[in-house]
Amino acid sequence: MIITEEIKISDNGFVFNSKTGDSFNLNPVGFELIKMIEAGKEFEEIRDSFLQKYDVDDLAFEKDFYEFCAMLKHHQITLQGDPLDFV
Amino acid sequence: MEKLKYEKPVISKITAGVPNKFGLPTKQKIITDIDGIAVPELIENYGSPAFVFSEKTIRKTYNDAKRAFETRYPKVQFAWSYKTNYLNAVCSIFHDEGSWAEVVSGFEFEKALLNGVSGSNILFNGPDKSEKDLEMAIDNNACIHIDHFDELYLLIETTRKLNKKARVAIRVNMDTGIYPMWDRFGFNYENGEAWNAINRIMLAQDLDLIGLHTHIGTYIMTASAYGVAAVKLSNLMVAISRKFNHWIKYIDMGGGFASKNTLKGAYMPGSETCPSFDEYAEAISNSIISSEIPHEHLPVLFLETGRALIDDAGYLLTSVLANKRSTTGRRTIVIDAGVNMLFTTFWYNLGVFPSKEVSSHAEETTIYGPLCMNIDVIREAINFPQVNVGDQLVIERVGAYNVTQWMQFITYRPNIVLIDLDGKTHIIRKSDTMETFNNSELNPKR
Repeated sequence: MIITEEIKISDNGFVFNSKTGDSFNLNPVGFELIKMIEAGKEFEEIRDSFLQKYDVDDLAFEKDFYEFCAMLKHHQITLQGDPLDFV
Repeated sequence: MEKLKYEKPVISKITAGVPNKFGLPTKQKIITDIDGIAVPELIENYGSPAFVFSEKTIRKTYNDAKRAFETRYPKVQFAWSYKTNYLNAVCSIFHDEGSWAEVVSGFEFEKALLNGVSGSNILFNGPDKSEKDLEMAIDNNACIHIDHFDELYLLIETTRKLNKKARVAIRVNMDTGIYPMWDRFGFNYENGEAWNAINRIMLAQDLDLIGLHTHIGTYIMTASAYGVAAVKLSNLMVAISRKFNHWIKYIDMGGGFASKNTLKGAYMPGSETCPSFDEYAEAISNSIISSEIPHEHLPVLFLETGRALIDDAGYLLTSVLANKRSTTGRRTIVIDAGVNMLFTTFWYNLGVFPSKEVSSHAEETTIYGPLCMNIDVIREAINFPQVNVGDQLVIERVGAYNVTQWMQFITYRPNIVLIDLDGKTHIIRKSDTMETFNNSELNPKR
């Protein structure tokens, strides 16, 4: 998953999309997550890091991760892939 | 190393435009318990969903209303509106506080009798009274509130047949300056229909006209409309005395007082905008006391308010079944209570609250019920915190109409629980079972 180049993320969790003009707020966990995605880390690595740091189980985190990613895609923050490409 | 507290990751779009009319968001209200009993304990014992009624709130609300009227008017009598909530346990509390019964069908009439209400303390309203119902009312010396001329003539016929007298009032509809004007029940004041009905009753040997009744509408947010109605009924009362030298005994102002629920489309919450009992009492009492009715003939003032007396005492406990995102990215949650048991959700934005501390992040959310029907929407848009599957929520102010207008659909209706004054819980209506249905069904042999 790739964050588009029009996206700017400030250190206090503010996100601006210069392509659409939309801006967003992140909560601290969301901020941490988007920074890891921006750094090109894969799901497994992100999950392991979160499980080690936070009081959360793997399935709950997985559910939240994919919901968060769906929202990034919905807001055109990540590159829009082929809708038939499920992987 | 101790792990950090996890919170669901959230990204929310910043929407510029109209500022929030209430300023900065306030802290999320949480309902952890009802009358001191924790929500998880109630759900563990009685299931989810479950209706819970607070006897303490019922009695307090009733006494607030009673005080508001009795400090302004010498003769006040409440009559509990059965159709608002006819659970026997709830009715019994109102009767214990001194309420008569106000019923609108033979079924409710029988229920009131079984609840120990004397027939003469039953006000019988409504447009559907069969001959059998009228016979029951006459035999029990109830106050029959006549709704239309066909009923009046049926009543005359029935009294002749039984050779008994009936105590009657007429329901009067009128323009009180509110919209919509209810003119489908009773006889109209302005066009003289009510006066014609009164004249016909006074000529009938076996009808004793003892009252005048009105019910100007529902969820009336203008107390002064009741003042107008009371003036018109007082005028009729004086006119009856002048023509027939007969003083009627009571004026029944019906119900329709607003509860603190918020109507859909309302700009401000109902808790801020609804008149208090004092405001209704002031408008009604002033109108009657300052009318031409002499002091010695002041009528008893009957009130049949239902919604405003019971809505606050009822809660629905429910649990989260799922979190979802719609195609527009909107957050939705599915709960285990549907519109089939929350009839009032069609016109109120019901208050839905978590039962435990939640994330400070709130997001505009749609709350769906579990019915697998598109109409099953509990809240179309509510600023709601993140919740997880299994989290327990509390829907407040659901005491009026929901447990009388509910319908069974695809699953069993839930338990209804009462918390008494000592903080003890009692099931006052059991959840349906398969037997509930199978006992009533017949399957013809083929």
